[in-house]
Amino acid sequence: MHELMNTAREALYLLLSLDPALWEIIGVSFRVSLTAILVALPPSLLIALLLARVAFPGRWFAISLVNTFMAVPTVVVGLVLFMLLSRSGPLGELRLLFTQRAMILGQILLAMPVLTAMLHSTLQSIDQRAWETARQLGAGWWQSLWMLIREARFGVIAAVLAAFGRIIAEVGSAVMIGGNIEHFTRTITTAIALETLKGEFAQGLALGLVLLLLALVLNVLLGVMRGRGHQTVSV
Amino acid sequence: MLEVSQLAHGFDRQPVLWDIPHLHWQGRSLVHLRGDNGSGKTTLLRLLAGLEAPRQGTIHWTLAGAMSAVTPPCPGRVLYLHQQPYLFDTSVAGNLRYVARWHGWRGEMARDRVAAMLEHCGLAAHAEQRARSLSGGERMRLALARAWLLSPRVLLLDEPTASLDRQAIADVSALISSLHEVGCAIVLSAHQPSVLTERCDEYWSLEQRCLQVSAFKQGVAV
Repeated sequence: MHELMNTAREALYLLLSLDPALWEIIGVSFRVSLTAILVALPPSLLIALLLARVAFPGRWFAISLVNTFMAVPTVVVGLVLFMLLSRSGPLGELRLLFTQRAMILGQILLAMPVLTAMLHSTLQSIDQRAWETARQLGAGWWQSLWMLIREARFGVIAAVLAAFGRIIAEVGSAVMIGGNIEHFTRTITTAIALETLKGEFAQGLALGLVLLLLALVLNVLLGVMRGRGHQTVSV
Repeated sequence: MLEVSQLAHGFDRQPVLWDIPHLHWQGRSLVHLRGDNGSGKTTLLRLLAGLEAPRQGTIHWTLAGAMSAVTPPCPGRVLYLHQQPYLFDTSVAGNLRYVARWHGWRGEMARDRVAAMLEHCGLAAHAEQRARSLSGGERMRLALARAWLLSPRVLLLDEPTASLDRQAIADVSALISSLHEVGCAIVLSAHQPSVLTERCDEYWSLEQRCLQVSAFKQGVAV
């Protein structure tokens, strides 16, 4: 118990003293995950719009496929990308393996199903009259589309927060295609795994606290967004 | 001017909703569209606005200033208003500002037009209020103000006074009459006779899957 208290105290000290090594790892994590979300958002939005608003053969199968991808374990995404990006793989020439770009690619693949499924659900719940009214009042196709997204804004933000929470906390893909290289591809989760194996619990715990705090912030924001979304959905 | 030819529409559960071999309307009058529940009034209005495509037949609008007849939709010129108008999730003035922006009005011109329309429709005091917190009558007035901003040639109103109290009906009716007086032709569907339907020049009646067109005041079929 005494040792646990000491470790917790040391972890807090590392965080509050702005330990450069610790904050560098946090910086890499946020940079990679934020980039992945920004890249994943536009195509996810388009796919979600297509699934929510356009009737085409096989639409329900496509929706089921998106929902299935949400359940794919992160290590499987890591494995597939590893095979594609390794020297002997079809994309080996790109030399992306064990780089931040590869990690971003992995996180895009993990974020897109979550984003698409949540955005689809949000956009589907937007009243058909919103589109009709905008078009009747002379809005162009893109202006009407923007209006639709704006009407769904709380749901869109909630989807982004949920997807960000998933990818920043994932370890499987990050360790397999990032390689956990110090000062380069070491993220919060891969560092926790490594430090624990080394018996350096303080840094692991400090990073764990960051993730815990992040989870709390994201959940509070999600709660607020859900509340505001419900308030505005009723017409 | 509206020219409808061989128009027929229906749904899977009701393959033939109605059949209109021919309809010619000068597009100047105030028309009361009547019919029982399920007779297809809303569907007819939506087809005329171009929100749905007919299963069969053609619809052509020849609007003032246009060189030739066009098939709907005619955004900003032939407008359909839902029975429960959809208000964008912003302020009352914000709803009008969207319309101004879509039509390329900027700066002072947009501000002036929006302010004048809010004043005209009796909504100036609510300008910064959330649109969705308005009462039923105020919502309809905002929807009419939003449409009026575009000076439409034709308004297709789906039960505009349904579920409104007496005062709201009077306010909405006065606005619709004013719109008509400034040259906007109006087709409105309504179940119950009201101040508004009494002002109509003619009526269209959907009965037994056909559209009967009659002059209202004279009671003579056209």
